[in-house]
Amino acid sequence: MRNNIGKYAATIGWPVLVTTLILLAWEISVRILGIRSIILPPPSAVLEAMAERRDLLLTHLWPSLYLTVLGFLLSVIGGIFVAVLITYSAIVRKGFYPVIVVSQVIPKISIAPLFIVWFGTGTMSSLLLAFLVAFFPMTINAAMGFESIDEEIHRMARTFMGTRWQIFWKIRMPNALPYIFGGMKISITLAIIGVIVSEFVASQEGIGYLIKLAGGLLDTPLMLAAIVALSISGLALYGIIVAAESWAVYWQPPPEAVGVGGG
Amino acid sequence: MRSAVASSAPARAPGHARDDGAAIVRIAALKKTFGDLEAIRQLSFNVGDGEFLSVLGPSGCGKSTLLMMVAGLIDPTAGEIRIQGAKVTGPRREIGVVFQSPVLLPWRTVLQNVLFPIELLKLPRPHYRRRAMELLRMAKIDEFAGVLPRQLSGGMRQRVAICRALVHDPNILLMDEPFSALDAITRDEMAVELQRIWQVNRKTVIFVTHSIREAAFLSDRVVVMGRRPATIIDELAIELPRPRAIAVTEDETFNRLVRHLRKAIEASHAE
Repeated sequence: MRNNIGKYAATIGWPVLVTTLILLAWEISVRILGIRSIILPPPSAVLEAMAERRDLLLTHLWPSLYLTVLGFLLSVIGGIFVAVLITYSAIVRKGFYPVIVVSQVIPKISIAPLFIVWFGTGTMSSLLLAFLVAFFPMTINAAMGFESIDEEIHRMARTFMGTRWQIFWKIRMPNALPYIFGGMKISITLAIIGVIVSEFVASQEGIGYLIKLAGGLLDTPLMLAAIVALSISGLALYGIIVAAESWAVYWQPPPEAVGVGGG
Repeated sequence: MRSAVASSAPARAPGHARDDGAAIVRIAALKKTFGDLEAIRQLSFNVGDGEFLSVLGPSGCGKSTLLMMVAGLIDPTAGEIRIQGAKVTGPRREIGVVFQSPVLLPWRTVLQNVLFPIELLKLPRPHYRRRAMELLRMAKIDEFAGVLPRQLSGGMRQRVAICRALVHDPNILLMDEPFSALDAITRDEMAVELQRIWQVNRKTVIFVTHSIREAAFLSDRVVVMGRRPATIIDELAIELPRPRAIAVTEDETFNRLVRHLRKAIEASHAE
């Protein structure tokens, strides 16, 4: 047990140490070289901006997070639904699945301006873009999970007269859970990107809007403060999914390095 | 296609459990082809009620195919299988199957795995929960009832699979090389255990194996299948007293049976 804690401390300790060193080097070099705050503020100034402009940051953070989570949840539900269709419908599997896979080549972010044209500059565009970018990895992962069941397990269930319905709920679904969580981890990061990009293009609120606004005002400390706040939120969302995964996929031994190699 | 070795052998079965009224499984003129590949040419034999029958043959001779047809998972090309008089057209409730690998569901505990057929067959859970615990006790793994499969050894997992195949109290147990993935020592142990479980439950067992020793040790009767396209090349009653200890495998009587079976298989290779 003590050994485990030691191992954990080692996996966490090194990255923390490296991060601290980088921040320290940043702080010192900015001060020594006398770089102006507009170009690159020191970490201390960013922290200061975060503390002082807390209310402004939170006001813009909430709508972005709200849309991210909503778009993400829609992509999870929609992705699993389409994955079920892919698993059970030959038409969907043979006709639509290849199209879905190939359409991955389209940089979906480039569709953002089109969405503005269609759905206006409000929240609908952000939500739809978040959904769109998060949807594909969810679908593909869930479909892989449903289809990757062992032929022998399938045969075993059939000898005990298992119906398709039973095989889906008692075998395919639990079997797909690790894949679904894998998809969720990709999708949540993409949903954030979708919302931010949409807010860059056209929006009157949200953390993406604030970043663009601060840039326009040459308020670099505020810009960096917004980016840091966004990153922390993203990390928290990712952490929630990892925690839910280790609870739901209890039968898999925990991976060696927890929380490393995310995204 | 009966070999000369078989008819001249001293331990030849005196028509035991063949064509008598007590047969629970009747296999008649069974044939199976996969496209151009002829897996099974012509098979006919009966299995008596409560009999432990081994189907012995080299790897890839179509033994597993035969078993899957009895289980109702694949259809024969010609001929038929009847269980208690009814023609097999699909999976049946009175059959339990043990596969080559344990195929346990990793997210279910040992007890939940054993109860899996009960859920699929929608049988009353409380009653069968008691039965599942009894089976686990009999297989000497009851203390692991709440444990996940990944924490068990290969032999223990296969014991769970045997309990699962027996939980809904089937009349017929089909076993497809169930010990082939285990090491030699565990294999012997499992054979003794299986015999004990069988003596308590008295199911009809069709046991597919490529191990001559295993077939001779466990069975009342051994049916030998030749190479593809498969037919029955020999049949041998094993009239050793039960319960048989593993030491029986060192006896001269036992070794004579093993030699007989080996010759039958070798003769089929020479053809």
